[in-house]
This record gives sequence, C-alpha cells and structure tokens, in this order.
Amino acid sequence: MLTKRIYVCENSIECIFTGIYDAWASNYGHDNNRIQVEESNNEPETMELFSEYIHVKTDNEKAIKVANSIRTKISEEAFQMVCSAAWSCSSKKGDIIYRFLILGFSMGSKVVNHMGDQNVMMIFELQRNVTYEVHHFLGFLRFIESDSNILLAKIKPQNDVLRLIAPHFSDRLSNENFIIYDEKRKSAIVHRSGYSWIYTLADHLDINKFEEYSEKEQEFTSLWQTFFDTIAIEERRNYKLQRNNAPLRFRNNMTEFKN
Amino acid sequence: MIIEENMSVQKKLEILSDAAKYDVACTSSGVDRKGTSGGLGNTVAAGICHTFSADGRCISLLKILFTNECIFDCKYCLNRSSNDVVRASFTPEEVCVLTMEFYRRNYIEGLFLSSGVIKNPNFTMELLCETLRMLREVHHFNGYIHCKAVPGASSDIIEMTGWYADRMSVNLELPTAEGLKTLAPHKTRKNILKPMKQIQIGRNELIKPSTFIETNRMSGYAQSISVFDMNSIESEQDQPQILREEANFSLSKSKSELSIRDKILDTNMTGYDSEYSLGKVRRPSINRGFVPAGQSTQMIIGATPENDYQILSVTEALYQKFDLKRVFFSAFIRVNEDTSLPVLPGGPPLLREHRLYQADWLLRFYGFQAAELLSEERPNFNVLLDPKCNWALGHLENFPIEVNKADYYALLRVPGIGVRSAERIVKARRTAKLRFEDLKKMGVVLKRAIYFITCSGQMMHPVKLEENYLTNQLVGMKERLPFGLSGDISYQQLSLFDDLKFMNQNININ
Ligand code: SF4
Repeated sequence: MLTKRIYVCENSIECIFTGIYDAWASNYGHDNNRIQVEESNNEPETMELFSEYIHVKTDNEKAIKVANSIRTKISEEAFQMVCSAAWSCSSKKGDIIYRFLILGFSMGSKVVNHMGDQNVMMIFELQRNVTYEVHHFLGFLRFIESDSNILLAKIKPQNDVLRLIAPHFSDRLSNENFIIYDEKRKSAIVHRSGYSWIYTLADHLDINKFEEYSEKEQEFTSLWQTFFDTIAIEERRNYKLQRNNAPLRFRNNMTEFKN
Repeated sequence: MIIEENMSVQKKLEILSDAAKYDVACTSSGVDRKGTSGGLGNTVAAGICHTFSADGRCISLLKILFTNECIFDCKYCLNRSSNDVVRASFTPEEVCVLTMEFYRRNYIEGLFLSSGVIKNPNFTMELLCETLRMLREVHHFNGYIHCKAVPGASSDIIEMTGWYADRMSVNLELPTAEGLKTLAPHKTRKNILKPMKQIQIGRNELIKPSTFIETNRMSGYAQSISVFDMNSIESEQDQPQILREEANFSLSKSKSELSIRDKILDTNMTGYDSEYSLGKVRRPSINRGFVPAGQSTQMIIGATPENDYQILSVTEALYQKFDLKRVFFSAFIRVNEDTSLPVLPGGPPLLREHRLYQADWLLRFYGFQAAELLSEERPNFNVLLDPKCNWALGHLENFPIEVNKADYYALLRVPGIGVRSAERIVKARRTAKLRFEDLKKMGVVLKRAIYFITCSGQMMHPVKLEENYLTNQLVGMKERLPFGLSGDISYQQLSLFDDLKFMNQNININ
C-alpha cells in the first residue's frame, strides 16, 4: 500500500485550487491523495499515521489554471458550485471539491446532474447551505450611517459570504459609500459611490466606528423599532415561528433585536 | 373623530402601522429590476424578507396606511368611522423620507402603502399617487412599491398610480358579495372588481411600450376571451354555487349555457368601453412598466359563513379571470365588538387559513383545480390532513406510480414529493435508474411517498392501497405545521412543505 499523501491547504479558494493542481500533477493516483483544509484557529486535525503531509503554498497561477479548466471543461454552473463550496464553512470541503472535479473532468457538464454520486450530492449540499445564508443576509444585514455619511454593516456569517452578497448591495446602493465587515474573518467589502466594490482584508478597520450613532441615526433606529413592535399582531403572537424564521445567530447585528 | 394637531412622525408611524398590520400581503416579489445610477434601489423577483415580527410573519415592506381618517364603516375594521380611535395622516413627504431612510439601512425592500378613505375615494387615491410620484421622481426611489387601489376611485388616477407601483392590490375583503353587503356596507363587489379588471387589462395592453396608447383596446381584450374559452371547458356543474351567484350580478341564469367563467368576465365587460379609458394619462419619463409585479388581493376567512370550496373557487377564478399573482387569506380577528361579527371560540382560524394557503399552493404550482380538491358534497378540508394527502386518499386508483417513468405532473401529485424534488427526479433519472435511497437524497419525504410510488416496479414495502388504512397512517404521521399551529394536532410533516427548506419564501409568512 502506498503512503497516503495529504495536501494541507489554507482556508482560501486559491490555496484549495493550488492543492488540487499539485495533487493532480503528482500522478500519484487520486485514491492516494487527499485535500485537507487547515482550520485557522482550531488545533490541527488528528494526524494520521502512515501519511505524508504536504503543506501547500498558494500559487495564484496554478489556481487560475484550475479555475479556467473548470469553466471550460466542465461548465460555468459547476464553477459556481465549486466556488460556493470553497467559501462554505465545511471542514471537508477540500476533498469534496477534489473528488467532484475528478468526476467532472471525466464527465463534463453532465456531472451536475449526477446526483447518484456522493460527492456531487455533497457539493450541492454545501452550495445550498451557502446560498441559504447569503439569502438571509440580503435581508438581515443592517447598515448604520456614520457621521460622515458612510453606511456600515457588521455581519458574522458561518460561511465566507462577503463576495456573494457584494454584487447585490453594490447594485442596490450604487450611489452610497458603504462597508460590510465580516467580524469573524476580519475582511470587508468596500464600496464607493459610483465605483465597483472591492474585497479586502480589514484587520485594521476601526470597528468602534460602528458604535458611534449620530443623532439622526438614533432617530431612524427608534422609528424602525416602533414600526417593528407595532406591526406584530397580538392575537397571532408566535415566538417559535419568529425564531425559526429569524434564527438567533443572525440577530446580533439586527437593529430591531438589540434591546 | 379624534385628530391631534402637530403629531410627531414617530406617533403617526405608530398609529398608521398599527392600523395597517392586519393587511396580510407583505411580499416584495414578482419583479427583477436592476439598480439605476443616480437612483436608490433595485428589486428581486423572489422577494426578500428583512425581519420577522413577534407573530412570526415576514416583514419585507414598510407597511403603513397613509391615513386612518376613514369615512367608511367596515364592521371588521379598527379604523371604521364609527370607532373612537386616534386618527392620523402622513404627508407624502413624510412617507418618502421614511421609505428612503429605512431602505438605505436595509430595513426594508420598499413600501406597502394602503389607506383609509379620507374625504372620498378620489381624494385618497390622489394622495397615494402623489406620494408614489414623489418617491419615484423626486427621491429617485427604485425599490419595490406596493400600493392599494381604493375602490371607487377614478380610472385615470388608478392608471397613473399603476405607472409608479410595482404591485397593486384591491382587497376582495370577503369571499362573497353577500358577505360584503353585511360587513362592508360602503363597498360593493362591482367597485372592487372594476379597478382589478382595469389593472389586468392595463397590464396586458400597457406593459409593452410598443403597444402603448395606440393599440386597439378591444383587441387585447378579445384575445383574453378566446384564451378563456379554451380554458373553460370544465362543466358548469363542477362550479360551486358561489360563482354562479357571482355571475348573476350581470347575467341572468337564462344564459347559463355560457360557462361560469366567461360570465364573470362578461360581468366586467359591462361598461367596459365607457368606463375604462386606458392610455389617457401621461406616462412618467422613466418607464418601469405598468404594475410589473402584477396584482394581489386578500379576503378574510371566518367572518362570514362561506365554506372552503366557495373560497377556493373564488380564488381560482381570481387567478384565471383576473390574472392575479397572489390571493391572500387572513384569519378573522375580532377587533370590534359588533353583533354582526361572529365570536370564534378557538380564536382566529389559523389552521383553516393554513390549509387554504396549502390548497392555493396546489392551484398555483401543482396543476390542481379547486373542483378536484373539494366539492359541494365535501365542501371543507379535513384540518387533520394537508389538502394534497387528502386528494391522494380520494384518488387511490391513480397509484402507485412508477418514479422512473411518470411524468412531472404525475410526480407532483404524490404526497411527499414537492416541486423541487420532482424536478430533481426528472433530471436525475436521465442518467440513472432511481432507487428509494436516491429519492431520499433528493428531498422526497419517503415515509409518506412510499405508499404511492414504485421504483423499477417495486414498492418499498408491500402495502395495501386502502383508504382507511392509509388515512390512519398519514394522519398519524408527524406533520411539520408552522409553529404555534399545532392545537390538539401532533406536529406532522407536511408533504406540501417538503420543499420548504429549499425555498426562499415560506408560505405562512406572507
Ligand atoms: S375602508 Fe373599510 S377597511 Fe378600509 S380603513 Fe376604512 S373602514 Fe377600514
């Protein structure tokens, strides 16, 4: 039996693609390779005996090659699925994507209908989970207007959804300056009025700014609170349904749930 | 009437959102529109829920009345003229600022503007229209707007409003004309259906810029009649009494050789030429289309004695005859002490409302017809079963069906298979023969579906397709009812909602 080779990648789509490229190029046999994504803050996964650990260094060129191959040799739809999967919070996503691509490169665009395959199913699951969260944030995200007229939003998503929600808000608020900040990953979408959005790491962003309410801001916050409280029908009060529809984990940054 | 001077916007918002809360339609769905440079907002066809109120319902729009100073006296309404409540009115500018600032902060998808009737219907409608005009043309608001059409307002002003709104609605209020007469004495069925018809015709004719104004108005209309001819083959006996009565408001029974459906249409043809003058107003410079998200309506359930069959048949007619996008049901809540209002011991009939929504879903997405689901003999749903299971139990001769062969619509009728899973089955079976394990992965609720399907000729377990036995099996199953709706019924998984987890919108939240 050959020693298993485990490609350990950082938690980024570029690094996962690089790892897949390297594994592929090694010609070591897909069954003997595995892609593993490093969990940034947690302890390393239990090491397996008889395995060789290879730490993958992100190489953008390789990553772009993989991306292009997926788009041309499989399909745009498959590429979007893989991206969503790579931005999901699943710890198994690296290897799921790898297996999905092995099948995809042999079957072509038909692969997305091949639900009988476990990896195809799992990619669907990951994508569904991410899409679900994206959709929630389109509604649940709240902006606060700073004194300098910049709209600021904080979110704490399970999946890395920033780049998936950015197009929606840039289109909708094209004349606004806004920042959407991911508290968990310390990354942000920055949008300037009239320009397209950019994605950036934001370790240095002064998030205390988020807590400074202008007077005008307080006025609208309290108007919204009033509306939110009065619009509920007493005779139909149903907190369970409310909690099911607006899960607690989204509420931290929602103005109306703050008191 | 109690009218306070110099009321703060905060106070007005409190009064006028409180007054609007019983309106059930809060969806922002039906139209995709990109953002504009220089404007604020876009729209998303699937709709977006921004939060959920303490009753668990979706909040998508800033839902307010423009005013609750109402001259009408609808028995079921808090704002009726005979009630002693504090009255308030917004100004158009106040509504604009609230909408814009709420929208920028992503609190809402847009505005839902309704109103009590102040002074007279035209005066009221003009205020609503002016508010919408200012939002669109002064504030460059490009998000979603839902606006009520006030029954009795002139067709010009309704048409103008239609150019600014994404969706319009006229409340049917009650399922029958009699109900309306007893509980909403100032409203008539005719005044309600007239703007509805106008908007429908407007959408057919005005929605395409090329056919604007110059087109022969009758041509589009004539077309729609021939469409209905094709659709209205179902025999008259299948139609419940209600529709016939409805039809009578313009046609005598002697013309009963016409199908009921056409009669309803005829109703609205009366006076069509003289009363509807489409294309009269000047379109705004930015053309977002005429009511591009279509129209909806709502009716109160349980305030008057109509049965489910009547309600569902009216619903079906509204979809077919008036092209409505949605018909909403609202369980009656007794907010006024009034002898003409029933006292419902169980409180608002929420479970009944829920079953009607499920049935409505079956009409819109599953290819069912009202007369398949209920009949004069069995005019009400069994609240213990969802309407689809109920139907399947009455049609066991259609089952079991072969999953690898049955067409899409046959699959849709299987309890435990929803729209999404039926689509997946059709897609997946092109590459491989499906087994029961595969179905589970596709979101099929097997524990319910196994009684009705075969995979490659085999049922999962041998079962006898016998109505009583299966009814017991299905009623005993856990059904996932919306929270808080359990009553004495155990939570059961709803076959109709098997797909819910895959859907953006939850039907009980609208
Ligand atoms: S018209 Fe009737 S339902 Fe509408 S606000 Fe006035 S009383 Fe209420």
